[in-house]
Amino acid sequence: MWNYEKRLQFPVNITQPNAKIAQVIMSQYGGPDGELGASMRYLSQRYTMPYPEVAGLLTDIGTEELAHLEMVSAIVYQLTKNLSMEEIEASGFAPYYTDHTLGIYPQSAGGIPFNAGAFQSKGDAITDLTEDLAAEQKARTTYDNILRLVKDNEVAEPIRFLRAREIVHFQRFGEGLRLIQDKLDAKNFYAFNPEFDRCKC
Amino acid sequence: MQNFSKNYNQPEYVDQYPIAMAYVPWQQQATVFEDLNAAFYAGTIFPELEKPFVGRRCVK
Amino acid sequence: MKSNMVNERARLYHNINVIGFVIVDMIEYLDTHPYDKEAIEYLNHYLALKHQAMAEYAEKYGPLSIGNVPDTDCNEWKWATQPMPWEGGF
Repeated sequence: MWNYEKRLQFPVNITQPNAKIAQVIMSQYGGPDGELGASMRYLSQRYTMPYPEVAGLLTDIGTEELAHLEMVSAIVYQLTKNLSMEEIEASGFAPYYTDHTLGIYPQSAGGIPFNAGAFQSKGDAITDLTEDLAAEQKARTTYDNILRLVKDNEVAEPIRFLRAREIVHFQRFGEGLRLIQDKLDAKNFYAFNPEFDRCKC
Repeated sequence: MQNFSKNYNQPEYVDQYPIAMAYVPWQQQATVFEDLNAAFYAGTIFPELEKPFVGRRCVK
Repeated sequence: MKSNMVNERARLYHNINVIGFVIVDMIEYLDTHPYDKEAIEYLNHYLALKHQAMAEYAEKYGPLSIGNVPDTDCNEWKWATQPMPWEGGF
């Protein structure tokens, strides 16, 4: 189960509102390659993972991603706090504001609400870890793209931190996949699904 | 036809591994930042995992 | 002086952030390197430091976890009355 620590994993202190960049950054909350999807993916995959170190890894990284979605939400919150109606209208934020006022809501930069279609929990150890490797790279690329757009260092700092974590997670999932390979037959890794098959035919 | 010579100097010779599978090298002999404050801002305690982004479009 | 008090609080808070982060990164390393004894010792060292730092912060300023509530004064449920971390300012 989960405990909560009343602090962000990395500080978010933004003094300049910016609804335009908020619209983009919120994709890392509820978008297809965002932290909510990452968290739900790993926390879902862990149940049927037959190797405890890998189930542990999925749990620990899935938990860290919850702390990351909190950071992204905090960034969006601080970027949009105290916006005036003029600022809302001028920055193209009016559609989001109509549906959510300044509430924080998980959706992509394009306005598509978060949905589980963004991730898979395939129930196959090799497949799930391979999906996780891709997920971390997609998130990294999204942060790269955001960093090209962001001019304010108060915003860039927590974004850079989040991006760095994706690279570390990629390494860990890669090692998790190596652990799985070590438990299987190198002559044919795909002979059976260790999460499902109980016997040979 | 050009003859590209490959470089197999790496200690982990991944091309000898079974094909049709993805392999990420193990982090071995992991070193940790002495300055943990710097590690915090780097986003990892392991210097070899610090890979910053410096890309720019730079096109008019 | 007020700015010293603010600085002390910020210093303690930052310390907790750094130690907490070291712990998370090391936990994930250990998940895939479960027999690295040195790494486990390193983690245990920082877990102890974090425990201390959280208790000290709670005593002086307020709880950062429910576990630290007993370190704070009983007259106020600071867990809820103090600002939430997404408000910034730390």
